[in-house]
Amino acid sequence: MPGVVWGPDVGSGLLALAVVLPVAGALLILPLGRHAERVPHLLFMAGLVLATAIAYHVWIGGVLTAAIGGWPAPLGIVLRADGLSAVMLLTTALVLVPVGIFAAGEFQPRTADGRESRAGLLFWPLMMGVWAGLNGTFLSNDLFNIYVALELLTLAAVPLVTLEGKAGTLAAALRYLLFALLGSLLYMLGAALLYGTHGTLDLTLLADRVRDDASALIAAALMTAGLLAKTAMFPLHLWLPPAHGGAPAAASAILSALVVKASFYLVVRLWFDLFPSLLDDTGATVLGLFGAAAILSGSVLALRQARLKLLVAYSTLAQLGYLFLMFPLAGGGTEAQPWTAGAWSGGIFHAVSHAFAKASLFLGAGILVQGIGHDRIADLRGAARSLPMVIAAFGLSGLSLMGLPPSGGFIAKWLLLTTAMASGRWGWAVVMFAGGLLAATYVFRVLNRAMATPEQPLRLVQPVHQSRQLAVLFLALVSVLLGLVPAIPFELLQIGGGLSTVEGFR
Amino acid sequence: MNAGFLLVAAPATPLVLLLAGLLVPPLRRHLPDFLAQAPVPALVAAFLAMGNASVDGETLLLGMALRLDFPGAVLLGFCALLWITCGAFASTYIRGSADRERFSVFWLLTLSGNLGVFIAADIISFYLAFGLVSLPAYGLVVHDGTDRSRRAGLFYLVLAVLGETCLLLGLMLMASGADSLLISDAVGAIPSLPYRDLTLGLLVAGFGLKAGLFPLHVWLPMAHPAAPTPASAVLSGAIIKAGIIGLIKFLPLGTGLPEWSLVLTTAGLFTAYFGVLMGVTQSHPKAVLAYSSLSQMGLVITLLASGLVAAGVSAGDVGADHGADGIAQVAAFYAVHHGLAKGALFLAVGVVGATGAARIGPVLAVTAVIALGVAGLPLTGGALAKLELKGPLGGGLVETLVAWSAVGTALLMLHFLRRLRMAASADAAARPSPGLSLPWGATVLAAALVPWGLYAAAGSHDLAYAVKPGNLWALTWPILLAGILGWSLRRIRLPSVPEGDIVEPIARLLEPVRSVRLPPLPGVPSIVEAVGRAAAGIVVAAEAPVRPFPAAGLALLAVAAIMAFALAG
Amino acid sequence: MTGMLPLLILSTSLVPAVVIFFLPEAATRVRAAVNLIGALAKLPLVGLILDGVAAGEQYELRYTLVPGLDFLLRIDALSLLFLSLSAFLWLLTTLYALAYLRDGANQSRFFGFFSLCVAATTGIAMSGSLITFFLFYELLTLSTWPLVAHRGDARSIASGSHYLAYTLAGSTALLLGIVWLEGQVGPVEFAAQTGIAGADPNTLRWIFLLMVGGLGVKAALFPLHSWLPAAMVAPAPVSALLHAVAVVKAGAFGIVRVVYDVFGIGLVTDLGLGVPLAAVASFTIIYGSLRALNQSDIKRRLAYSTVSQVSYIILGTGLAGPTAMIGGLVHLIHQGLMKVTLFFCAGALAETLHIYRIQEVDGCGRRMPVTMLAFSICAVGMIGLPPVAGFVSKWYLGTGAIEAGQIWVLFVLAGSSVLNALYFLPILYRTWFRPATGTWREPLTPLPAAKVWGLVSPAVATAVASLASGLLAAAQPFSPLGWATLIVTRDYGP
Repeated sequence: MPGVVWGPDVGSGLLALAVVLPVAGALLILPLGRHAERVPHLLFMAGLVLATAIAYHVWIGGVLTAAIGGWPAPLGIVLRADGLSAVMLLTTALVLVPVGIFAAGEFQPRTADGRESRAGLLFWPLMMGVWAGLNGTFLSNDLFNIYVALELLTLAAVPLVTLEGKAGTLAAALRYLLFALLGSLLYMLGAALLYGTHGTLDLTLLADRVRDDASALIAAALMTAGLLAKTAMFPLHLWLPPAHGGAPAAASAILSALVVKASFYLVVRLWFDLFPSLLDDTGATVLGLFGAAAILSGSVLALRQARLKLLVAYSTLAQLGYLFLMFPLAGGGTEAQPWTAGAWSGGIFHAVSHAFAKASLFLGAGILVQGIGHDRIADLRGAARSLPMVIAAFGLSGLSLMGLPPSGGFIAKWLLLTTAMASGRWGWAVVMFAGGLLAATYVFRVLNRAMATPEQPLRLVQPVHQSRQLAVLFLALVSVLLGLVPAIPFELLQIGGGLSTVEGFR
Repeated sequence: MNAGFLLVAAPATPLVLLLAGLLVPPLRRHLPDFLAQAPVPALVAAFLAMGNASVDGETLLLGMALRLDFPGAVLLGFCALLWITCGAFASTYIRGSADRERFSVFWLLTLSGNLGVFIAADIISFYLAFGLVSLPAYGLVVHDGTDRSRRAGLFYLVLAVLGETCLLLGLMLMASGADSLLISDAVGAIPSLPYRDLTLGLLVAGFGLKAGLFPLHVWLPMAHPAAPTPASAVLSGAIIKAGIIGLIKFLPLGTGLPEWSLVLTTAGLFTAYFGVLMGVTQSHPKAVLAYSSLSQMGLVITLLASGLVAAGVSAGDVGADHGADGIAQVAAFYAVHHGLAKGALFLAVGVVGATGAARIGPVLAVTAVIALGVAGLPLTGGALAKLELKGPLGGGLVETLVAWSAVGTALLMLHFLRRLRMAASADAAARPSPGLSLPWGATVLAAALVPWGLYAAAGSHDLAYAVKPGNLWALTWPILLAGILGWSLRRIRLPSVPEGDIVEPIARLLEPVRSVRLPPLPGVPSIVEAVGRAAAGIVVAAEAPVRPFPAAGLALLAVAAIMAFALAG
Repeated sequence: MTGMLPLLILSTSLVPAVVIFFLPEAATRVRAAVNLIGALAKLPLVGLILDGVAAGEQYELRYTLVPGLDFLLRIDALSLLFLSLSAFLWLLTTLYALAYLRDGANQSRFFGFFSLCVAATTGIAMSGSLITFFLFYELLTLSTWPLVAHRGDARSIASGSHYLAYTLAGSTALLLGIVWLEGQVGPVEFAAQTGIAGADPNTLRWIFLLMVGGLGVKAALFPLHSWLPAAMVAPAPVSALLHAVAVVKAGAFGIVRVVYDVFGIGLVTDLGLGVPLAAVASFTIIYGSLRALNQSDIKRRLAYSTVSQVSYIILGTGLAGPTAMIGGLVHLIHQGLMKVTLFFCAGALAETLHIYRIQEVDGCGRRMPVTMLAFSICAVGMIGLPPVAGFVSKWYLGTGAIEAGQIWVLFVLAGSSVLNALYFLPILYRTWFRPATGTWREPLTPLPAAKVWGLVSPAVATAVASLASGLLAAAQPFSPLGWATLIVTRDYGP
């Protein structure tokens, strides 16, 4: 790709590659059609290596930037990778590899009798599209570039929902598309407003120029509302459960674990990087209240679901609520209690460990559907005996949802809790505890059924390949590993974080 | 064989035998034959280790210490002797019964406790020995498995457990005041304890229950008769003395506790007369003997109470050393005679039960001498015991009451002899097997000779004193008076009081308590469940308005507006 | 080297757990080997550390998870008290479980969680800071739930969720307490006396209430105890492990840590929390015994007896004063030894003669003399009669109460002894004095010799241990009483 200035070192070149690789992958798979069995897995593995390389470079060299085409900021598009983006990139790549292995069983480009199957063909390019959108979002340092990545993400994710053509998924997908587009529209309005007043779309430059005036506030409000719609935050969560519940297992894993996190990542970028100076506690508290409402309603609704996939979908709503508790708790009072590592890292930790746990849950649900033919929770009796690894993975991921040690979820919950108690705002702590207990109720509701011994032993309708079960277990183990070895990701996260990530708003 | 080893061997031999019996099945079948040999080391220890033996096992329990003083040695010796003869008697007596192995297990346990009680010098080992002598005895009481013995056993066990608990509390209170666990130090600390009266009350309750002090005596007249003959002999003869040695060791004799002395004296005397009153109404010879033991122990407790009257020398006449250990010696002496005599009488009931009506003449005669000896018949061991008893009591009302109690005891003994005559075995030609009559004979000899030997060795006067005319008359008039009274009242039908007298009404009172059932606690999860379901309903209702699609669209604009206001605000 | 030992001990239970989870169901011999190797490897290590700590060695392993959240393993004398108990009883319970579940289903899952549960207990014993304690406390809840629900029938699942409802609520309260305290005074470690006395008293009282409430669930304090009898549907080795060694003791041990190491007995008495804690414990003692009286199922009666006996430990902790503290600590081991024997015997009765209720026990002394002898020894010990271990702890609690000036405790102890007699002696009476009523249902094929040995020998071993720790109580310093005295005089002396 001529014209790419390799910047100070090879690191910035990697950034460009991170965005180009998935796009190239998508373009490559389409023509190959039924001969492209191996290609997606190779690409995903390459992506993982690439993400690790970027993380390594950020770890030793600090923030990486790459100006595409050699044009500096106001004119050209700049890709920037600080600790936060490196972590998100790594998470994406780490989730995609097992999901790819899992999906290989279900979406063969060539069916047994040699004919091409529509789902098999389209699944992989769409996955590549989603991956490109995600990488784009995490690396772009330019508002418009982010918009492009967001649109790519949405347009690739929506068809994934209705890939198997089941009846209900079409309506769900259209509703998802509508919400996503409305969200992007609001985001676009905000970005245009900012561009109009400050003449640049680059985040770093904007951060210096933004003043505490009406246009900036309105822009922030619009962009936040739009992104909340795309993250399915409490009042705007209608579209998520049918979409994620109906989608095929591999797709719903990616949707719940990563796609929803992209817009959350952007809200974090806006609030902590773009507008830290002019945002104060009331805005953050409103976000926190939405989060709390999401936790309570999501958990209670999850409790009342009859089907496992819908239960897991509603649990996504609840867990997203935790993420937004980060805003009211961020900073504030940390100089009095220097040991509280801050709610900012807690929120991100929760996002990452939830990604692994949720992916494992959805893939597990997929195996159950394939293995015993249905995912009705009431009839899961004996599943622990016939699919022990899947139920074990379900249990381990459940730890993260409940925030119980030794999972990553516990570390995140502990970070948020100590900040809440240290700064005396114990209200949020109570919400978190309630969320934890409710999560325990619905996780153990499923585990109870699985542990019960049936009258006659549960026979598998269709044998499940060992590698797919191992993929599910791998994701669950990573979420637990995050709880056992949190020091490294924690350090990586702090690189490049602005002052507000530690001190919070004024 | 140094004294220390002997001291340990005394209580340990029965346990070693028991352990061997449990581990080696063939030995278990022959266990009953070793009952007689088990107490022999204790007898030897009593003589050899008279006062200088002491053993300290630092690591055992909380620092076990074994000592042997004069009263302890005397009681240990007599107990060993009685257990040997009763052991021999028991070997033959239970040969036929099915549960003889179980009987011998409990026999050996109780024996080991009984021997341990006299030599334990620290609080914990004493409590262990006391526990060992009271609880396993249950196995002896319920041996023959009849309803009567099971009911007696139940009362025995309930009261034994209550006694143990009271004793434990008393010992704890005592130990917290003292700096070491040795009994001598702890007793010295009692008068200065903040909870002195509570401690003394608990100790007296624990030991009084064992010695049959009124009102804690109820189990004794039920349990002793219900047990098989050798067991009743041992229960009444030796095990009851555990309570006495307890009082000897734990009551701060020689310190001024006038109010306690009064309490104990009245209780003792009341028990003495109450025993006689109830005894004469009993029909079963063993029940009569049980009530007689009750009343004799009342006398011993009255004697001990006299030790608490005032500091230093009690008000008795000068001469005999009536300080604290003097009273202890007299109490031990009296207890020894009573034990041996009572053992002989109980065995006599067994022997008479096995002999035909025609042949009981000689047995009856010998038993009569021993029985009246208990009441103080001159030239018998009992006479010496009665004389010794007079010494420390020191005239006044107490001494006269004690003297008159001799009349009661004599009456009781005559009643016993009359009941015994009727208890001969139905088959006229039956002859008691030597296995029964020989141990009985040995006990009779012991009951006759041992008190004289002891009196000569350590009595407060010389032998001549016992045969002085004044004393002789003091001993004979109660018996003559009893003879006259007994002969004239023989026509009157006395109301038959059930054994255990006051226990019947109390049992009926406690009956409803047994069937109380605690209401099950409403499970906390059921409450949580209800609260949870209600909360869930509210949350779902709150979320419902957002559900329809158009409302969701509007919600988007609403959120944008809210954010604008929040940020602007 | 001193850092590695705690990790080594932890791994002797963690590694078998992980290995067993992946063993196929049929690999019984391999599974038994892995289990036993883990248990046997742990004993010498604990022995090594016993020597070391007695000589004053320091064993510590610190690993920072996140700034402000340190994973700290530190073995001091108090942790060894619980560690040696769990190491010794785990070996015996493993032997017993191997025999008991000989041909049961889901054995890999059972023994996996079984080892995980003991790993959690070991972790609780060795934890050096509040948060590390919470990590293992939580792992204990999660690893014991599948054991309670092991049979998978409706009752087990129901009692499993009942257990979870209580313990998860408890751990939430505990975490709230910990986070609230650490929010005020920063990370709290057990050895270092942090400056928490400075915080405002009322908050400290609330924090104490939350922590003791959270721990009280596992320590089966009234009214948080009802999960314990309900969990009796689990197989006997689980009830033995839960009630004598792991779960119940973890709660009590936690309260001991909170009172002595986090708050310090001085602060607890200043805040006026000592006597109320003792009062709640006393009420539980009497309540537990009263409930035990009218239970006809043997294991439920033993469960309620556990509810009452564990509160002895908390009573000792509540009463200020070294003697009561020694009494409480030593009862932690004594109750463990005695109660595990009772459960082993109850399990043996259930397996050999299908006896589950007390009425069916008539005459089994003749049929199973050794088991019932072990049962009788420990029942006498529970009543508190010498020479069995129970007496020693009751003696220290009593004298300690007098020293602390709380005379009412004496009558609680007396009442409890009488009640214990009332619900244990009838069982002994039926066993030894009643003729068999023929309600036993012997299994068609007599039990294989290995199974009989596997069930009886652990029970005899623990019965002998209870007798020995009572008889040789004063053998310094390696008898339970000796070690408890060492803890109190050296680490918490005035």
